[in-house]
This record gives sequence, structure tokens and C-alpha cells, in this order.
Amino acid sequence: MSIVTGGRLGFVTFAGTVLGLALFGSLLAPHDPTAPLGAPWSPSGGGNLLGTDALGRDVLSRVLAGGRHLTLTAGAAALVAAAIGIAGGLLAGWHDGPLSRLLHTAADLLLAAPLLLIALVFAVTLPGAVAVIAATVCGGAPLTLRIVGDAVRQVRHAGFVDAALGRGESGPRILGREILPAVAALAGSEIGARFVVALQLAAALSLFGLGPAPPAPDWSAMIRENVSGAALSPAALIAPAIALAVLSLTVAVVGNAAARHARRPL
Amino acid sequence: MILRALVRAVLLLVGVSVMVFAATEALPGDAAEARTAGRATAAQLAEMRAATGLDAAVWRRYLEWAAGLLRGDAGVSLISGRPVADVIGQRLPATAALAGAALLVTVPLMLAWAWPAGAGSPAGRLVAAVVTATAAVPQVVVAAALTAVFAGMLAWFPPISLLPADGRPPGLSVLALPTLSLALPAAAYGAMLLRGLVADIVARPYVRDARRRGLPGWRIAAVYVGPFLVAPALRVLAVVAGGLIAATAVVEVMFGYAGLGELLVGAVANRDVPVVQAGAMLAAVAVVLGMLAADLVTVRTDPRRAMT
Repeated sequence: MSIVTGGRLGFVTFAGTVLGLALFGSLLAPHDPTAPLGAPWSPSGGGNLLGTDALGRDVLSRVLAGGRHLTLTAGAAALVAAAIGIAGGLLAGWHDGPLSRLLHTAADLLLAAPLLLIALVFAVTLPGAVAVIAATVCGGAPLTLRIVGDAVRQVRHAGFVDAALGRGESGPRILGREILPAVAALAGSEIGARFVVALQLAAALSLFGLGPAPPAPDWSAMIRENVSGAALSPAALIAPAIALAVLSLTVAVVGNAAARHARRPL
Repeated sequence: MILRALVRAVLLLVGVSVMVFAATEALPGDAAEARTAGRATAAQLAEMRAATGLDAAVWRRYLEWAAGLLRGDAGVSLISGRPVADVIGQRLPATAALAGAALLVTVPLMLAWAWPAGAGSPAGRLVAAVVTATAAVPQVVVAAALTAVFAGMLAWFPPISLLPADGRPPGLSVLALPTLSLALPAAAYGAMLLRGLVADIVARPYVRDARRRGLPGWRIAAVYVGPFLVAPALRVLAVVAGGLIAATAVVEVMFGYAGLGELLVGAVANRDVPVVQAGAMLAAVAVVLGMLAADLVTVRTDPRRAMT
């Protein structure tokens, strides 16, 4: 038991460190991430631990500073989409009817809709980050709504809800104080799932040049900048890719843990 | 049943066209301003709007645009001034080759991964973990890893996939990295969706019974599990193919492959609305046709129907 708790504590520390580095890593950068320091794609050494990139800038500094926009965009998108989905799911699960059936159908169709295409169409008129948020809401909120709605329908007839109804409490109060805590783990796993997808969209849009304007560092844009130097300096290509992978897998694992927790019987 | 699937596909396309039109026409400026780049007076702009029909009501412009698409006339690019149909037609073969090659790799890979991951052996759990991770990370990560290994360390393929200038079909070395970068995440996503289905079918009593009778694994797969997997696998394949078509944009931009996705991304950056609208609709048609095909094949291959 103590080993399990210890492992969990270790993982929480790890996940917190990953998020902290993604958001505030620029504070630890040894060099100015936008200043050219040497020859393009030089190997590690001479003060550049991971070598230099296509324009001779320090790869380590750019990796440390390059996660902020992606993390903030994906985080905002996940929170907005999950909040809308959870609020809608609470209502749809509480009131059965044609609305929840319609939402089921909509969620089925949206599962098949390529979100990247939706984000691209939005990006014609909206800034890249807003397009990511809008596409995540369009494609993700209905899925969250359906999953949370199903869970609410299951706990609606549980004893503690009947007891609250018997005490004469109002519907909104019961939703907020009794049902929301009961589906909290599920809500957490939904935020994680939306984050993973939103990060995929944000990474794609950054790759397309719709993210932060150069020379600002961005993991996804760095991959594109350094792809033609793959033979000269694999580190310049691989380091931002590893950073992106670690961030997305960490959130995915946290989300899965929450989902496992949610599946345990009440 | 077939009629219902057809009606649903048509309704879906109409809905998508309304959404695409609304999202791209909600610009602060309009096409007249975009084309003149702020150098025209208000009177010139008004004249231009009247000439190009931009002063008409939104619903009328939508109907004209939709009618044009049905005739195969998608308007004129705001950037190059060429007909959109020509611009897209020129890029289509390269993307079709890439998406086709990627699908050819995706289908067997998806089935090969879904099988052990669903069966739940220790090796299967490892496969499931790798599949989940591959589907979760952004596509650029997979592309970067493949490039670093095959173009950087092994130097088997070029890191940039330039198409032959004389219009010849791209060779294997040009297609290899983009194809794998598309296929691996797509197959992983498909295997993730299929895994639960495989696990459900494998746990059915008649499959366990066949196991106990000592039938060989391939026979169980082919006779007792496979037929029940065809319909859901086709639906999953339609979803995966839709995602794969959208993902060609990522891979094409990453490797500098001059296809439709790269054109679409450039058009978004330049606010070339007619090209974005036509490109998005073309992709939507491909996705909806894939779903329709899966629906129709499902009706024909339903094992319940074959048994009666």
C-alpha cells in the first residue's frame, strides 16, 4: 500500500515538474533563446549542451522556453471544452429526453469529424490559439457531455441523491453538491483527454506557422525548422519532439489514472 | 437502410458546407478588401463588391457558392487569380498518392496491433501501451522521430520530400517518411478504437469454447472472431481515414511535400477563402464518402444476415 502511495506521490511530483518546465522553463534557459550563438546545427559542446539549431541558436534554451504557448493554448482549450461539456452533461443527465438523444447522435458524428480540418477552417478568421480552442470545443465538448451525462444518469437514482431530494434540496444544489463530486474523477479524466487532443491541434497549427511568430521558440515550429538538419544535428530535431511527447504522455497518464478512479464503483 | 445512409450523407454534407461557409465568411473584411489590400477607396470597393456579387445577402452568396461547387466551379483564388479547381486539381495527385500509400500501410498495421492488444496477453499489454502512446503524442513527434532515425542516423531517405519537378510520380524514397508518419499514428488510433471490440468478441462463450477444443489460433481468428469484426472495423477505418486525410496537411508541411494539405495551409495563412472553402469541402466529401461506404458494406456483410 505504501509503495503504491509512494509511486503516486512520485508521479504527481513528476507531472508537476513537467507542467512547470513547460510553462516557466524559460527562466532556466542558459542563453537567450532567440540569439544566434554559433554555426548552424553544430553538435553539443562549447556551452551549448544540445548544440545549435538552424540559425545557430542554443537548442537547450529554445526547448526550455518553447512549451509555453502550446501548453497554455491546449490548457485553455481543454478547460473551456470540458467545462461546457461537463455543465451540459450535468443538465442532460438530470433531464432525460429528446435533447440527450440528439446529443448522443451529434457526439457520434463528431467522433468522425477530423478536428484538424475544423481548426484550419476556423484559423482563416481567428488567431491560431483561438482556432484551437474553438475546434476543441466543437469536437470535444459533445463527447464530454455524453460521457458525463451517462455518468449522471447512473448516479441520479443513488441513495445520497434520493436523500438530498428527501431533504427538499433544489435540483441545481443537488447537481453541484452531490452529483458533481460523484463524477469529479470522470470530469478530471475528460479534461486530460481534451488536453491531449488540443495539444495535437496546437502543435499542428504551430507547425503550419499559425503559432507564435518567429523567432519566438516553439517546440512544434522547432521540429520543422530543424528537419533538414536531421543528419547534422539530430538533437535539434529530437529534443523538442521529446519535450512535446513527455508533456502529452504525462497528461494522458494523469487522465487515464483519473478515468480508472472514476470507473471504481461508488 | 441504404436510402437512409444516403440521405444522412447528403444532409451531413449540406451541414458541413453551411459551417465551412459561415466560418470562413465571418471575416472582419471581405474578399474585395483582401484583394485590394487596403489600396482601394470606399467607392472602388463598393463597385468591386457589386461586380463580384459580394454585396448580396449572405444566404444568396451561400447558395451561389454551393451551386458553383456542384457544377465543379469553385471560384477564383484570391492570391493567384487562377480557377480554384485548377489549383486543387494540380495538387490532388500528390496527396492522393500519399494518402493511398498511407492507407495501404495503415490497414494491416491497425489489425496487427488491435489483435494482441485486445487479446490481453503480457505482450499484448505492451503493444497496447505503445499503441496508446503513439496515438496520444502530436503527429509531429512521430514524424520527427522517424526523420531522426531514417534520415539522420541511417540516412536511408531524404529528410525533405521534394516532388520531381517534371511531374513524374514520386518515388519510394520520397514517399517513405511521409507515408510512415501518416500511417503509424493512424494505425495506432484505429487499433485503440478496435482493441475493446476485439476484447469483447474474444471473451464470448463460443470463442472460449473453440479455444478449449484446441482449434489453432488462425482458425479462431478467421472463423469465430473475424466475421464479427468486419463491420465495426470498417467504421473505425472510415474514422481513421478521415483523420488521415486531415493529417496529410501536417505531414506535407513537415516534409515540404507539395500536395493539397500544404496548399490548404498556405491558403489559410493568406486568407485565400475560396481555396480554403473548396479544399475543406473536398476533404469533407472524402470523409463522408468513407463513412457512407462503411455503412453500405456493413449492411451487406452483416454476419447475422449471412447466417439466416
